[in-house]
Amino acid sequence: MILSEADAQDLTKKILGYSQAESCIVALSGNESRHVRFAQNMATTNGAPSSISITVESHFGKRSGSASGSDLSDDALAALVASSENTARLAPENPEFMPPLGPQKYAPGSGFAAATQAATSVQLATAIQPVLKQAQDKNLQAAGFLEIGTGFSSFGTSKGLFVYSQSTEALNTITARTPDGTGSGWAGTTHYDISKMDIAGMGTVAMDKAVRSQKPQKLAPGKYTVILEPSAVSDLIGILIGEQFDQRGADEGRNFATKKGGGSLLGETIFGKNVTIFSDPADLVVPGSIYSDDGQPAVRTAWIENGVLKNLQCGRYWAQKSGNQPVPGPTTLTMVGGTTSTADMIKQTKKGLLVTRFWYIREVDPQTVLLTGLTRDGVFLIENGEITKPACNFRFNESPVAMLNKVVAMGPSVRAYGEESIGIPISVPTLLVNDFTLSSVSDAV
Amino acid sequence: MRNAAAIEMAEKLDLPAKMRLADIALGVAKSLGASYADFRLCRYQSEYLEAKEHRLEESSTGMSVGFAVRVLLDGTWGYASSPLATEDEVKKAAANAIEVAKASQSLQLRKFVLEDLKSYQDRWDMPMTSDPFLVPVNDKIAKLLSINEAALKAGANYATASFAFVREDKFFASSVGSRIEQTRVRSMPETEVTVIDKDTGKFATRAGLAAPRGSGYDYILSYDFVGEAAKAADQAREKLKAKSIAPGKYDLVLDPTHLWLTIHESVGHPTELDRALGWEANFAGTTFCTPDKLGKLQYGSHLMNVMADRSQEGGLSTIGYDDDGVRSEGSEFPIIKDGIFVNYQMAIGQAQLIGQKTSNGCAFADNWDAFPIQRMPNVSLQPNPKTCTLEDLISDVKHGIYIMGNGSWSIDQQRHNFQFGGQLFYEIKNGKLGGMLRDVAYQGSTVEFWNSMDGIGDKSTYFLGGAPNCGKGQPEQTAPVSHGAVPGRFRQINVLNTERKDVA
Repeated sequence: MILSEADAQDLTKKILGYSQAESCIVALSGNESRHVRFAQNMATTNGAPSSISITVESHFGKRSGSASGSDLSDDALAALVASSENTARLAPENPEFMPPLGPQKYAPGSGFAAATQAATSVQLATAIQPVLKQAQDKNLQAAGFLEIGTGFSSFGTSKGLFVYSQSTEALNTITARTPDGTGSGWAGTTHYDISKMDIAGMGTVAMDKAVRSQKPQKLAPGKYTVILEPSAVSDLIGILIGEQFDQRGADEGRNFATKKGGGSLLGETIFGKNVTIFSDPADLVVPGSIYSDDGQPAVRTAWIENGVLKNLQCGRYWAQKSGNQPVPGPTTLTMVGGTTSTADMIKQTKKGLLVTRFWYIREVDPQTVLLTGLTRDGVFLIENGEITKPACNFRFNESPVAMLNKVVAMGPSVRAYGEESIGIPISVPTLLVNDFTLSSVSDAV
Repeated sequence: MRNAAAIEMAEKLDLPAKMRLADIALGVAKSLGASYADFRLCRYQSEYLEAKEHRLEESSTGMSVGFAVRVLLDGTWGYASSPLATEDEVKKAAANAIEVAKASQSLQLRKFVLEDLKSYQDRWDMPMTSDPFLVPVNDKIAKLLSINEAALKAGANYATASFAFVREDKFFASSVGSRIEQTRVRSMPETEVTVIDKDTGKFATRAGLAAPRGSGYDYILSYDFVGEAAKAADQAREKLKAKSIAPGKYDLVLDPTHLWLTIHESVGHPTELDRALGWEANFAGTTFCTPDKLGKLQYGSHLMNVMADRSQEGGLSTIGYDDDGVRSEGSEFPIIKDGIFVNYQMAIGQAQLIGQKTSNGCAFADNWDAFPIQRMPNVSLQPNPKTCTLEDLISDVKHGIYIMGNGSWSIDQQRHNFQFGGQLFYEIKNGKLGGMLRDVAYQGSTVEFWNSMDGIGDKSTYFLGGAPNCGKGQPEQTAPVSHGAVPGRFRQINVLNTERKDVA
């Protein structure tokens, strides 16, 4: 369910009108989406879900409580406010309570495309038809998911803040497999504008990889030079910045950015000099939400600049306590790319592997951000500057912190989607990385 | 004090109102040509409380109501959902579901066919002694703070404790005549302590071993969180000084607080029929367990018996009917029998594709706005019928590791290659438990691993573990699922050292 800015503001005012608390926050969000899902070259579970959520947070002194609901009727909204107030009254005082913000200045939002919002189920099916036709013609099995959605969100406080944002997103992922089960290829990405998405092209890439990856060769595990395509890179960078870049954790001695003897590594060069990662909600490739969780404006933030750790996320309480500026979490991420084409990366590789994407990544050790996961849907052996044969899948045990010290070439930064997406738009380059730890072989295709 | 808003909203939609909406949805679907349709109207009530150290970080409640209409139109599925449970909106959603199905018909190479479905008029309520939503919030907060207090007192630098509670009220109606109401509750505790060594810049954590359960607050009261928190602080401190593991082959004795997750990943998921049919190829993956292996594959040693059920007390998948409206009473079935793979888990419209007759009741939708897909029932490793304790298993290990709790976990998309960490690792030397180890993870391949199992505990060692958030499907759905387990002994498993010296 989508509310316009005016409707969201009216609803927020109405809810704030029920409030008897000292201060109050009203957060609204809703979504309308459509998808076709397919496997074995045919449609499976197609749908058009719609949802809405209203969250009210009430405060009395340093006590706070919140309640969320989905019912927009006046009675239900009043009950929701009362419920959050009951919860707040019963909560002990939180010494870290921060009062809600007043009006803020926000940059204009982008990331909305009328074409995406207007797309019908017929359009989605029509876009997928040639993919399935091509798969049948090539005697391959295609599976995938094409989804378009429009979402809105708003954040208002009893101190006069109100911000609204509306965005669209299209997600397309396609896996193609050979009937004998020995080859599998994948392609996929997101875009806010479905008309800019080359759906048939992704199908072609997935099918080409499926054919070329047939009957892979089993190789020994070990440290490999790898070319990681954007999907694989996006997973590692998203997890690193989105989940590990935390100032408080570093100051408290419990994350990778903790300094021996106390304090954080902020300002130190801990990554390769060729690494720069930032968030910019106004970025043209990956526009992000203009506000962060607690209503703070989302602004351009450098996380890593030429290898220097520039910023860690920092909540308002911790910023106040430590005498720093708060740093809201990212609503979008960009890793600055280079100019090396994948073909050139292959040419300059004596022995290495080209990796399409990763799967099932989990943190093994928070101290070093050691992650484990697997390659999937297209791994190719490179020998003496050429792709020579398909290779088996591997389990990796590697830390993105270590990896960002071993990047030797980068392609242009492009919008990407990985299975471990942290739910914000991300743009990353293809990376050529040395000494990437592949710890065992997987028989999976 | 019961949440006033909760009561008010719960009473808003009574059974006759739901019946009326169902009749409208199914009527519209039928008039527009659906050969099958169902209507699910659900209400999810939730509460989340989180304490960090001595403070309450969050106290929140949630109430989400909405419905979905699902139709099968000339062999093509379509569904639509809405948070507005009004007659007009129900009509609109039913028409929208038809439109989605119609639009997708151009992609329907093979039509979906459903088995004959039975009609039920029933109500099922999870038995429960203490409803968590009726327990005063102050009691729950006091409990959380006391857990952290115990950890901090025992030397933890940081402590987090949280309780999440969910109540599902589901109403299901289908075009074959079923009208089913169901209610169940989940109680999901989580705790963790952290200790810091400032001088070395090292830290260690120890997460609690309590499992999420399909239980009431009586479960929370029955678990000694305070005692565990104090012990956890000591153990985390011990981890900082523990011996780093030498990589190599070890015999492993896996505690059920750990083994349930290995069962989930390497037995639960590979035996899902939709994966075998290729329907999850683009996301969750396929499986090595192809239909030609049914009744033949020696999945594990003869000690391995794995049962699927929806009836186990405390099970997160325990319920009267699945989200396809298939009755679960008496539907327990073996997945692995004496080591042989004997059954898949199935939703409706699947059994015929492998020459079987009907679903075995394994459908679930994680929300009112989701399509019911095949998800796990409770999938549990059965105890050894002969007496066998944990000590008995350890006593026959010369060079091994005993692992408790879950650390990291990962498995490939066909469910061969896995890697698991843990919370606590202890050396086993000549049949005796020794000191603590760290940096341990083991890797294995599913069939080889389960065939290396040469000892399992008896029923006195049984523990019901589980996960609240198993992911599958597109759009992704997260399902709660339980796994009963007993300790198992596995021979000559590959163990690696996870310490990285090249970072920071």
